Amino acid sequence: MNPLWIVQTLAVLRLELRKTFFSKRGFWIYLLALAPVVLFTGHSLLEMKNHRVCDFGQDTNIFATVFQIFFIRLGVFFGCVGIFMNLFRGEVLDKSLHYYFLAPIRREVLLVGKFLAGLLATIVIFTSSAMLQFIGMYLHHGWNVVSDYLGSGNGLSHLIAYLGVTVLACIGYGSVFLASGVAFRNPLIPAGVILVWESINSFLPAILQKFSVIYYLKSLCPIQIDPHAGSFFSLLSINADPMPAYIAVPGLILLAVAVLVLASFQVRRMEINYATE
Amino acid sequence: MAVYKRSYRAYSGRLTPEWSRFYILTRYALGNLFRSKFLTAAFVMCFFGPLVCMVGIYLNHNASVLALLHTRADQIINVNGKFFLGFLGMQGGLAFFLTAFIGPNTIAPDLANGALPLYFCRSFSRAEYVLGKLCALFYLLSLITWVPGLILFGIESNLSGVAWMWENRSLASGIFLGSVIWILMISLIAMALSAWVKWRIAAGAMVLGVMFFLSGFGAAVNGVLRSNIGHYMTPGSLITRVCADLFGVETPIEISVWSAWVGLLVMCGLCVLLLSRKVRAFEVVR
Repeated sequence: MNPLWIVQTLAVLRLELRKTFFSKRGFWIYLLALAPVVLFTGHSLLEMKNHRVCDFGQDTNIFATVFQIFFIRLGVFFGCVGIFMNLFRGEVLDKSLHYYFLAPIRREVLLVGKFLAGLLATIVIFTSSAMLQFIGMYLHHGWNVVSDYLGSGNGLSHLIAYLGVTVLACIGYGSVFLASGVAFRNPLIPAGVILVWESINSFLPAILQKFSVIYYLKSLCPIQIDPHAGSFFSLLSINADPMPAYIAVPGLILLAVAVLVLASFQVRRMEINYATE
Repeated sequence: MAVYKRSYRAYSGRLTPEWSRFYILTRYALGNLFRSKFLTAAFVMCFFGPLVCMVGIYLNHNASVLALLHTRADQIINVNGKFFLGFLGMQGGLAFFLTAFIGPNTIAPDLANGALPLYFCRSFSRAEYVLGKLCALFYLLSLITWVPGLILFGIESNLSGVAWMWENRSLASGIFLGSVIWILMISLIAMALSAWVKWRIAAGAMVLGVMFFLSGFGAAVNGVLRSNIGHYMTPGSLITRVCADLFGVETPIEISVWSAWVGLLVMCGLCVLLLSRKVRAFEVVR
């Protein structure tokens, strides 16, 4: 690889990170990530105030359900919509994309730089959120119980799996939404279609299920949700044919790479016409 | 060149009656809606469901078909409260997706381009402005919710007789009332977000996001706190509870009907409050 590309990628990354982390437009993403943290911590504080302790197993199942149904499907999904679609489409609306296009930098390098910036931002925001949720959920059980769960039980492996799934969700959804932001003038249409596609994934034929991000993520979650346990939302988590981790992880990364390659073809042909926006 | 004195003369033509001036906005808003081919296609597709139901109801009463299938009337489709609740659920969902695309186009462009002073320097009040924009959405969404619903009710009444219609008259009022409150809520949410998020596309994403996020968060709250509080922050649950009561159908949502009504009205009130904060003839930009 040309060393100049690496330098340029890092330069774009540095510029974009500042925009992604501190933009006023992206403030709501922090709220999105913090909402489940507030919920879990609030629950724990309430239990501690009332001197009650919930059933540990039940709490573990509830955490798994909320993680799969709410955090990944809605929190990370919409967070990625907000961050990744904004990388190109936001620049078009701010009428600032031509500064990048006029610079002596390959568009593919620009795309990779922007993707890495978005990825870094989403990973930091959402893995921190997942970690804080985990702490918040078990806060009222006391340190002894939690350290036992982490040390002797399978708590640590569960926590690592949750964080890994979050990172993979950011990679998968990020690549898809970055490509949508490049390809569509109104990224709301692909976002809506992808949302519906991901939601009905459990009800699709086995072959079609593989063309989605959530299928791989569900397979990697450490606890499979009982579809009869909760509300209608539990039905969304049915995974009749889970994919083993050694296929799911490279599969998702390959999907992301393929989408990014397609997006790079698209961005090479991209023409700016601010007047039509 | 001679310059002749031109003195001011007031407009002497016919004036639009004061009470119907808001409808001018509705007319123009409706005219703009169908410029997008995608929206036109999506709107047309919303009629697919009612058409299938219509055919189903007809076949339900067709003697030849019933004889062929060895069934009797009401065994193919039982047209009752559950049927209409399902119908409204399906059409309401489509109406929501349509609103996510149309709603942000109502106020955001006016705010982003500083057009509100131009509206309010004419004889429009802020309420009339909001009402005019709301009516455009209401008109459009009515065509895919309660209008086909009442047509289905009419067809079934025609085929089953006046006795059926009289017995099930509460279904007709349920279709109308349930649809109206749903349309009002999603329209107000879309308009409020359109006013606060001036970027049209972001506003659309916010409409989708807010509804899905609230549904998911409500379910999470119910799960974590082992309570029913989450239903109050889920518009879908509130409207389902209200409609289930209107249609006399059991529902797993364990909250009282009056509290669901209060929840819906509070949501609508909140949206009106948000609109009243943003829809002004001037804006202070810091």
